[in-house]
Amino acid sequence: MSNAAEGARLVGHAGPFVGNPSDSSLGRNKAAGTGVPCSQMIEVEQLRKSYGELVAVDGVSFTARPGEIFGLLGPNGAGKTTTIGCISGLLAPTSGRVRVMGHDVVREGTAARQALGVVPQEIALYEELSAIENLKYWGGAQGLRNPLLGERIQKVLELTGLADRAREPVKRFSGGMKRRLNFACGIVHQPRVLLLDEPTVGVDPQSRMRLLELVRAEAQSGTCVLYTTHYMEEAETLCDRLAVVDRGKVIAAGTLAGLRSMLEQRDLLRLSGVFRPEAARAAVAPIDRIEVLQAEEKLLVLSLVDASRKLPAIFAALEAAGSEVRGTTLTQPSLESLFIKLTGKELRE
Amino acid sequence: MRFIWISVVKDLRRWRRDPFTLAVWLAIPLALAVLMNVVFGGGGKPAPRGVLLIDDEDNTFASRVVSGVFHRDPLDQMLTLERVRREEGRRRMDRGEASALLVIPAGFAQAVNRGATFRLQLFTNPSQTILPKVIEDTVSITLDVFGRRRGGPAIGVKATVIPEKKQGKSFAALFFPSMLSMAVWMIANALAGEIWKERALGALRRLAAMPVRMAGFLAGKLLGAALVFAGVAATGLVTVRWLGGVPVASLPAAIVWMMLAGVAFYLLLLLVSMSASTPRGASMLGNLVMFPLALVGGCFFPFEVMPAWMAAVGRWTPTGWAVTQFSAIVDGSAHAAGVAGAVAGLAAASALAFLVTLMRLRRSFVL
Repeated sequence: MSNAAEGARLVGHAGPFVGNPSDSSLGRNKAAGTGVPCSQMIEVEQLRKSYGELVAVDGVSFTARPGEIFGLLGPNGAGKTTTIGCISGLLAPTSGRVRVMGHDVVREGTAARQALGVVPQEIALYEELSAIENLKYWGGAQGLRNPLLGERIQKVLELTGLADRAREPVKRFSGGMKRRLNFACGIVHQPRVLLLDEPTVGVDPQSRMRLLELVRAEAQSGTCVLYTTHYMEEAETLCDRLAVVDRGKVIAAGTLAGLRSMLEQRDLLRLSGVFRPEAARAAVAPIDRIEVLQAEEKLLVLSLVDASRKLPAIFAALEAAGSEVRGTTLTQPSLESLFIKLTGKELRE
Repeated sequence: MRFIWISVVKDLRRWRRDPFTLAVWLAIPLALAVLMNVVFGGGGKPAPRGVLLIDDEDNTFASRVVSGVFHRDPLDQMLTLERVRREEGRRRMDRGEASALLVIPAGFAQAVNRGATFRLQLFTNPSQTILPKVIEDTVSITLDVFGRRRGGPAIGVKATVIPEKKQGKSFAALFFPSMLSMAVWMIANALAGEIWKERALGALRRLAAMPVRMAGFLAGKLLGAALVFAGVAATGLVTVRWLGGVPVASLPAAIVWMMLAGVAFYLLLLLVSMSASTPRGASMLGNLVMFPLALVGGCFFPFEVMPAWMAAVGRWTPTGWAVTQFSAIVDGSAHAAGVAGAVAGLAAASALAFLVTLMRLRRSFVL
């Protein structure tokens, strides 16, 4: 990407692919079993999944390349897990197309799934079994056999720091250890494409850092990683490219720098107190390059350039409009401020 | 095939490490068997006690002397005497309810007085070995005494053994097929409910994203369950055979039948469980199917002790049919052709249930 602005674009529900399908410089992987050059490990094209009248995924399109960590960022219920379900072949798309390493997941499901490693949101482990026994089962289900299976089990146990507890029943593990083992079961067969569905939910900070390091290591080894999260900090620190999703649609996509540039270096000013929404809007409107993102009786969210210098003017205008400011939070441009700018609501809602 | 095997190993390991669930279901029929034994079969007598039925058609002093012998010690400790009419006595012998039936025809006293030839009738129960022999010998000795007093052994006993097919069963032989069937059905119900556990922890969804077939997963579960059923059946059969003295005509056939029947019932309960919308609903639905079928189908009480109408209905239920076949295999009254036909029927029903269960698993349950 030549500059940040080119690295991101706002996407409607019928938006184009993100990324350049002809760009083969990032990898030389071949589609499994076909010998076809495959620069795009995951291709999602106009994916739609509905349950009766409820549309869970609405025209989502994106691609992901080898060695890349592609993030799907959005609040709970945005359609991230459904998208992962369609890519993994668990759910049949209502329309659209999904390919993994060139294989259509509907028509060539088995070939597509051979390339996949999935780390589900749930801790999908058998608690009565030990870590080794879980890895043997899930590795065996992916077709690994001894001695390779044994070698891989040893390797992933060391990677995840579970080697010394490998023979204990999983039910004795802490939440963080279970998460790490859950991850290990997803990579034991060295997948070319790794789907991670909110793998750090409910994990302590130390285990989270460890998991994120593991994800980076997988990507560095050439694995294409699709990572869904509703933690913007994770997405910002981990992902090479991102698609921000809400209500089943991709509302923005691109590199982190590109997405930030869409905010024009605007700060996010969140004021709590007592407001009359319309009067507050009118009071701050004359201030230079200010935008009201959210105006409620107890909350006012503003997007503006150089907010710290304009604070006195804002306070004066609001006081004159009969508002009472009790708390102030100033945030630098971030994915969260972008999300609020695009949707008018906070990411964690 | 390899995935089926690793699935079997996985399930057997899990069940071995959570034996409490299976033990509970195994304990219920065992407790019931003990209770039944105390109520119906035991009685606290130190020695085995038999029943001697006597049809005294002569009803004279001489005939009462014969029957009176059994009131003396130690025979009165071993036998309970009941006076019956011949027809009732035969019916009870046919049902295996007594050790022997002694018929003293009218004219016995006159024959004794005249020194004429006369013959008493003794019907014995072949499932008992000691008591019928004791009764026969006692009657013979008594008649021998009568004969010697009047100068010659002209009074004899015609001993008749009731045909084997009509023989009665001991308490253990009567209740054991029901108890073992109940244990297997209950374990099948518990194992079937486990599918919800695997669903809840996301194992099924993870598996669905892998290149293996769901049919392999289901086959692995069936094979694992089959091994559990075979183990329970083998343990139960060997225990009652060697410790309880219950004759088992063909141990391998009985084990195989119980294993196949258990698998078929497991599939049925698996399908029932997956038809529910919550784990709690699945548990309730499973119990709602299993307990009435077990109760009417001869698992709680054998058909022999049920009211006739209930036994007639019960024999038409899947559980009743399986228990009847199992009882016949155990007591040796089953014919090879009949067993082969029953196995074929069971296999066909299981194959159909497998397909329907697999469809349900793939299409909606896994999500």
